[in-house]
Amino acid sequence: MAYQFDRISVLIVEDNQAMLELLKSLLEAYGVGTVITAENGEDGFRLFCSRNPDLVIADWMMRPVDGISLTRRIRNDGKSPNQFVPIVLMTGFSEKRRVFQARDAGITEFLVKPFSARDLYRRLVQIIESPRKFVRSEDFFGPDRRRKRNVGYDGPHRREDDQKKLASGSIDPDDIILGSR
Amino acid sequence: MDHFDQVPRRKAEFIKPPNTLKQKVGEGGLSEEILNKAQKLLEENTIDFEPLADMYLDALTKGIERAKDFTPSSDVEYVIAQLLYPAMQLKANGGMFHYQLVTQVADKLIQFLEVIEVPDLSAIEIVLAYHTTIKAIVHGKIKGSGGEHGQALLKALEDACMRYFSKIPE
Repeated sequence: MAYQFDRISVLIVEDNQAMLELLKSLLEAYGVGTVITAENGEDGFRLFCSRNPDLVIADWMMRPVDGISLTRRIRNDGKSPNQFVPIVLMTGFSEKRRVFQARDAGITEFLVKPFSARDLYRRLVQIIESPRKFVRSEDFFGPDRRRKRNVGYDGPHRREDDQKKLASGSIDPDDIILGSR
Repeated sequence: MDHFDQVPRRKAEFIKPPNTLKQKVGEGGLSEEILNKAQKLLEENTIDFEPLADMYLDALTKGIERAKDFTPSSDVEYVIAQLLYPAMQLKANGGMFHYQLVTQVADKLIQFLEVIEVPDLSAIEIVLAYHTTIKAIVHGKIKGSGGEHGQALLKALEDACMRYFSKIPE
């Protein structure tokens, strides 16, 4: 058995025509059934509303509407047909603060250019196999931004209590470090 | 009761949307054969990077010209962004179209632009050096990593950045 990508539709929003064509042929090589394309966030949102694709892959820097603004519209605009749609944002930026900026807009995955066929595939697998819950708060709507588990403490869990939790399955074994470090 | 010293926790609702993608694509992933075919497609694309690179280099030139007019009353974020965005595009696209050295050089330029506080004349000179180097790589059709010569170029640019920062008092 293999993924049946022929059953899904993907919207690519990219203002660089060469890049758009390259990405389109990459998705077709994966076997994606329908690839819809737009050259900016404005057209992208319009097509998103009319075609309701299963996945959106958008570039960050576009005019007049960039990938971040497109993400915010998809997540928050009343016209959006699917506020939960997975969004992969592509960019040449890889600095932490840029990643945080994109994450705070509500993207699902971040893809740094240049990328390989496997890099894109890994993002798709992550979205398909490990989808994140969505969070709605006063100032944010989007996928849960917390990725790191066990943020507060990364030392050994030697308490009797931890062992009980591990046995009952309420702690992920990956979060448990036994013994001294 | 919250501790007197604690920031009040925000109310947040957690929603688990249906995984429609998983329902549609099913199990099993993609085969190595498909992934190799897709990678080959990327590696063998015949798109000419030069016109695209020229467009971003022109944008960088305009950014440099604006930066030369920088005054203490200028919007520093805006002026640096006019340099940063074309540099980012060069980094992003170089490697996609066989110019990995352009990606490496532009990446160093981004790192430099992300940390400078003001686009002073010394900083502009460094940006100009990056611009000239990228232009030479593209017009000289130096594809790939550029070998030893490419890495030497990269090192020389990096050293210029180090000299710039060593002159700035902490």
